[in-house]
Amino acid sequence: MAAEAPHAPPGVQRRRSSQHTRMWGYLLALPTVWMVTFFISSMVIVVLLSFGTTTRDGFPVFGTNSGNFSALWDEVYLRLFVRSLLYALATVALSVLIAYPVAYAIALHGGRYKNALIAAIVVPFFASYLIRMYAWKALLSDDGLLNSGLRKAGLGDGISFLNTPWAVIGGLVYGFVVFMILPVYASLERMDTSLIEAGNDLYHSPLRTFFTVTLPATRAGLYGGMLLVFLPALGDFVSAQLLGGSSTFMIGNLIQQQFVEGQNWPLGSAMTVAMMAALTVLMVVYLRATSTKAREL
Amino acid sequence: MTPPTTGHAVSLRGLTKVFGGQTVVDALDLDVDSGEFFSLLGPSGCGKTTTLRMIAGFSDPTAGQVLVGGEDVTSTPPHRRDVNTVFQSYALFEHLDVRRNVGFGLRRKGIDKGEIDQRVGEMLELVELGDRVRDRPAQLSGGQRQRVALARALINRPKVLLLDEPLAALDLKLRHAMQAELKSIQREVGITFLFVTHDQDEALSMSDRVAIMNGGVIEQCGTPEDVYENPTSVFAAGFIGTSNLMPGVYASGTVAVTSDLRIPVPGHTTSVDGDQVSVAIRPEKIWMSDFTPAMVQTPGTIVSTSYHGATTQYLVSVGTGITLTVLEQNLPRMRADDRWNAGDRVEIGWLPEHAVVLR
Amino acid sequence: MARAKKLERKPLVAVVVTVLFFAWLYVPIFAVALFSFNDKKSLSAFSGFSTRWYVDFFHNEALLESLRASLLIALVSAVGSLVLGTMLAFGLERVRSRRGRVVGAITLLPLVTPEIVTGVAALLVFTGAGLKLGLDTVILAEITFSIAYVTVIVRGRLASFPLEVEEAARDLGCTPWQSLRLVTLPALVPALIASGLLVFALVFDDFVLAFFTTGVDPQPLPVRIYSSIRFGVSPAINAVGTLMLLVSALLIVAALMLPRLFKSRSSSLDLITGGERR
Repeated sequence: MAAEAPHAPPGVQRRRSSQHTRMWGYLLALPTVWMVTFFISSMVIVVLLSFGTTTRDGFPVFGTNSGNFSALWDEVYLRLFVRSLLYALATVALSVLIAYPVAYAIALHGGRYKNALIAAIVVPFFASYLIRMYAWKALLSDDGLLNSGLRKAGLGDGISFLNTPWAVIGGLVYGFVVFMILPVYASLERMDTSLIEAGNDLYHSPLRTFFTVTLPATRAGLYGGMLLVFLPALGDFVSAQLLGGSSTFMIGNLIQQQFVEGQNWPLGSAMTVAMMAALTVLMVVYLRATSTKAREL
Repeated sequence: MTPPTTGHAVSLRGLTKVFGGQTVVDALDLDVDSGEFFSLLGPSGCGKTTTLRMIAGFSDPTAGQVLVGGEDVTSTPPHRRDVNTVFQSYALFEHLDVRRNVGFGLRRKGIDKGEIDQRVGEMLELVELGDRVRDRPAQLSGGQRQRVALARALINRPKVLLLDEPLAALDLKLRHAMQAELKSIQREVGITFLFVTHDQDEALSMSDRVAIMNGGVIEQCGTPEDVYENPTSVFAAGFIGTSNLMPGVYASGTVAVTSDLRIPVPGHTTSVDGDQVSVAIRPEKIWMSDFTPAMVQTPGTIVSTSYHGATTQYLVSVGTGITLTVLEQNLPRMRADDRWNAGDRVEIGWLPEHAVVLR
Repeated sequence: MARAKKLERKPLVAVVVTVLFFAWLYVPIFAVALFSFNDKKSLSAFSGFSTRWYVDFFHNEALLESLRASLLIALVSAVGSLVLGTMLAFGLERVRSRRGRVVGAITLLPLVTPEIVTGVAALLVFTGAGLKLGLDTVILAEITFSIAYVTVIVRGRLASFPLEVEEAARDLGCTPWQSLRLVTLPALVPALIASGLLVFALVFDDFVLAFFTTGVDPQPLPVRIYSSIRFGVSPAINAVGTLMLLVSALLIVAALMLPRLFKSRSSSLDLITGGERR
């Protein structure tokens, strides 16, 4: 037994399972410190600064007044809040209308091209959001491809597609619809397709089958997708900036202005806090409602 | 290269493991001799795998000691123990080829490359995988993966090799082939094998000694023949093979099972008159013809028969509430109409020494 | 095959919507790519093939500097989030405690926070700490945001990795750290490369976080593009945009294909459905 491992003197090592757990604990420590430093604390600072003021030179200072929040209770801001909410909801609704047929067609009739088709949707969505928004701007602009095509066909002269609510909402859908397609697709994939056959036999109407069988069975994917589309759509400012104008601005544009152009950071922080508060309330209500629905199934 | 032939490869002293208030292994004492093929046999949850994991070092004992080669390794981490394991799932390193899997342990010990290559080559010849050296585990069949796992552990020449149900994932035919092969490999390398299984056939056919575990304690320990022929507990008698168990009262060399049926137990000396005991008789020890004068005989009625190919099993009623299982070989001279049918009156008999008293 | 027959009754509406959707998805992108090769400035009339806008780009020192900055940000962020995210994945998978679950939830928070909020908050914490805004602040913010992606992907792979294999390594003479290095990490290589590529692609063309946390010079490429397209479109931007789309698309395709190359059972979809970003 020449190749035997040397034996350490017994009793010097600690019990290794505790040593092992400690090793994993160390691994957790650094990322935890990182997230607390750069994420949690940053959120705290936003909340703190929302009660602050700016000096005469425009420098933000911490404080304890709620002036920023009462300033938000203003018709201009409120209208903008409501508009953002409506745009985001419209985005969710359109995304649902697009996602179901697309996910359905791919999941149940995609055959061996399923994965390729899903990849064809996913790849552009994860590649530059900004460039895709720009692509729409180029297409819809007054001297863009669409207008010149219409002109050539004699169908009109210089329609303004940009600066309309529909351009902005279209941009949001274009930006985020993938977050609806993927979960709906995943739950359709998991679904037992014999249910759809049974439904077709029973109801003789694809539409009735869809509402009585397919929709309830994919509820989880639908609810998840709605949330995943709503959250980024509500906070977006790029679509409104590039495809819209001041009449279509959303909360995101307002916040962006306070931080980049207006340089009123405390007011911008208050807007951010207000948006997050609204989102949190909506989310809690939404999760409550959907989880009871899910339980009824 | 030959390990010492005297002394204990593994000794357990009062080994105890408590999980969440439940005692999984209860003050276990055990000595496994060097060069021995030793099996821990028991149903799932009996503590056999936990015992193995404590010997390997993956699990800390709550109390007691583990000695390997006479040395206390209770608080030695697994990588410093002179023990290797063949895991139930084989746990091969999928990112390494067969050669590197098998040479893994030697490389950790810092042995030079030439020697590693030579020993890996020898080991792969031993397990008959010489032609799969460069394959990844994913390219191998279940039986081949099992051999790689065995070679990977054996090559380190541990003081004891722990095998955790290594054959459980194989199909029946392959399992039988591997049983024979494992045994012959063990003889060839002379390393102590500590084999954990719930399969009694496996344990009996391969082992030098078997320990039957139940509820965290060893019920009985001995050679396969010993534990089969002379079970010392009701559990052991029931777990290994099948037994006809009959409760009764001991009285001067017999056990009264019913008022009519008194079973002589001549060799038994440890009970006194009036003790509540059980008598066990193996089904294949009971005869239904060709009796010899030494046999104990009693009449009975066939309740049912079932044909098992090589054997026929009868249930025979021998009085109120007592039904015995009898296993008869289907011998070449027997024809279909030689077998008994339900309702037939028969005479059954057994040699007195085949009636074992259990307390 | 009654089942196949019944499903063969294709829902015409769904197929039509799907075809239209793919057209809607790709027409603007192809238009951008097409007009990046136009020899005139027009974005509506293709008058002739030319690579002048690409030549322009590769002679535009400011844009090239932005490109280098973006590549650097993406590379450092990918490496940084890979290290932190992998540590976190291990910690969360192996330490089954309440503390571990809280940390796990915190890491996933950036995924459900609108990016503008993360961006604004990062801006405040950096200026509050007295850091000068620049490439390093962008990197810090991007790492913070990307850790979750790595954690989700690596943790998924780790959960399916049998603990017995690690025990086998320790049984064969590895210390806990060695078994991690020699056995567990190699098994995670496909997941690590895939999440690294994904993070690189996402960070490379991320706009919102970079917009809030960058300094003046050099600006990351998406920020520079944004400031020039706010007021109009130009073939030069088409050229840059086409290049950016191409780079990201290739990286993401590579990330999606990777599990298959390594004969892993996990599908490419698991990679994406785990997290979301834009």
